[in-house]
Amino acid sequence: MAVSGFEGFEKRLELHFFGDDPAIFPLGLRKLDFESLEQVLEAVQCTVVSAVGNSYFDAYVLSESSLFVYPTKIIIKTCGTTQLLKSILPLIHYAHHLGLTLSSCRYTRGSFIFPKSQPFPHTSFKDEVTYLQDTIPSNLCFRKASIMPSKSSSHSWHVFTANDSAHTLPHMPYDHDNELLFTMEICMTELDPILARKFFRRPEDGRSGDSAGKEMTKLTGINEINPEALICDFAFDPCGYSMNGMDGDWYSTIHVTPEDGFSYASFECVGSVNDSIAHVLRKVVQIFRPGTMSISTTCNGFSNDMWTQMASAVEPLGMKCRSFAMDQFPAAGTVVFQTFTARRKSV
Amino acid sequence: MAMVYGDRSTSFSSQVLTFHSSAKWNAHFDALKQTNKLMVVDFTASWCKPCKVMDPVIQEFADKFRDVEFVKIDVDELLEVSQSFQVQGMPTFMLIKKGKVTDKVVGVKKEELQRLIEQHRK
Repeated sequence: MAVSGFEGFEKRLELHFFGDDPAIFPLGLRKLDFESLEQVLEAVQCTVVSAVGNSYFDAYVLSESSLFVYPTKIIIKTCGTTQLLKSILPLIHYAHHLGLTLSSCRYTRGSFIFPKSQPFPHTSFKDEVTYLQDTIPSNLCFRKASIMPSKSSSHSWHVFTANDSAHTLPHMPYDHDNELLFTMEICMTELDPILARKFFRRPEDGRSGDSAGKEMTKLTGINEINPEALICDFAFDPCGYSMNGMDGDWYSTIHVTPEDGFSYASFECVGSVNDSIAHVLRKVVQIFRPGTMSISTTCNGFSNDMWTQMASAVEPLGMKCRSFAMDQFPAAGTVVFQTFTARRKSV
Repeated sequence: MAMVYGDRSTSFSSQVLTFHSSAKWNAHFDALKQTNKLMVVDFTASWCKPCKVMDPVIQEFADKFRDVEFVKIDVDELLEVSQSFQVQGMPTFMLIKKGKVTDKVVGVKKEELQRLIEQHRK
């Protein structure tokens, strides 16, 4: 592991809003001016690199990860040393102008590779929770903070949730087709160096980040994870890759920091508990061949089946499940945190 | 050469055309088929914020690439046209020459769009 380098592990924030004025809908938060979004991102210290929208949501590729804007929810995921929590107050402010109030907040992250490089309040989970407690409005009175462990002290899953008691979430984790959904966040480190090289730009290729990104999506097989999804991709100079996928109202997102010594890749998506996620998991493992991987799934209710399905999907690819932790969060649902390591052949 | 169609005013200078009826669009499309001119069609929606990001870019390209035609189509207004081009995400830019889609760009990708315009305008 390098002494210092780019921090791939993201901080993720999901905010839900509520509004009872029918005039706000169907657009809701999608009515936020682009200028307002830029101001929010400025507080976080990142910028928009690319964007695309469909009838359900808008997806933005940022200089340090992604932003998704739905009518009643916003998801921001940022890496590096960004100050993600600083987006909360401006978002509450702008949403208020639209007649929307915050009803739920969920903050999650893995363990930083370079924790000492993080700015306050990301200096520790304790500092983050204190900041969140002070920032989030008091109407979100059902709160919980938890560090979910694995067998390694350097790989934990940190979760903070806060909800408004009047608006419990049963209706939220369903999509417009009324399917029960789960969110899956995969974090991978020690990527196969040969596969990671595909995320480096060829020197002086004379191409734009957009077209180089498109090429990387095809070359790596990322477009085969979900062939139905519309992909908005970008390749950073000299290396690094980001993409947002859109499939109806389901999003997916991938971010890659390919440098040896601190290589990292994340894959996140929304899925239906009725569908098999095995194909997706297998493709992701094949694209990155990580040394270590964690899978965190959040759902309002699904069978034990789901987790054994996930473990058995990646087992044939040499990923062995090393730990399993489960915790329940008021109104946000059940979070399961599993870690895996590759059974490598010694050279 | 800036021909303005439609009986409603356009919100852009006459360099970016807009169409409000599929009949007028079809007539224009057929007329352009006979030429060697590259047409860039920007499929947008009034409610789509990413589209707004590209609006000034298209204006800039229309000013810069005088031999290329730029058209803006609202997907709600001309639903059948956007469906016939299978537009899913917005903004979508279709590069059309002699009646055929030679390339397309989906999303806010200024540099990629510029590269393709420069490639196909010859």
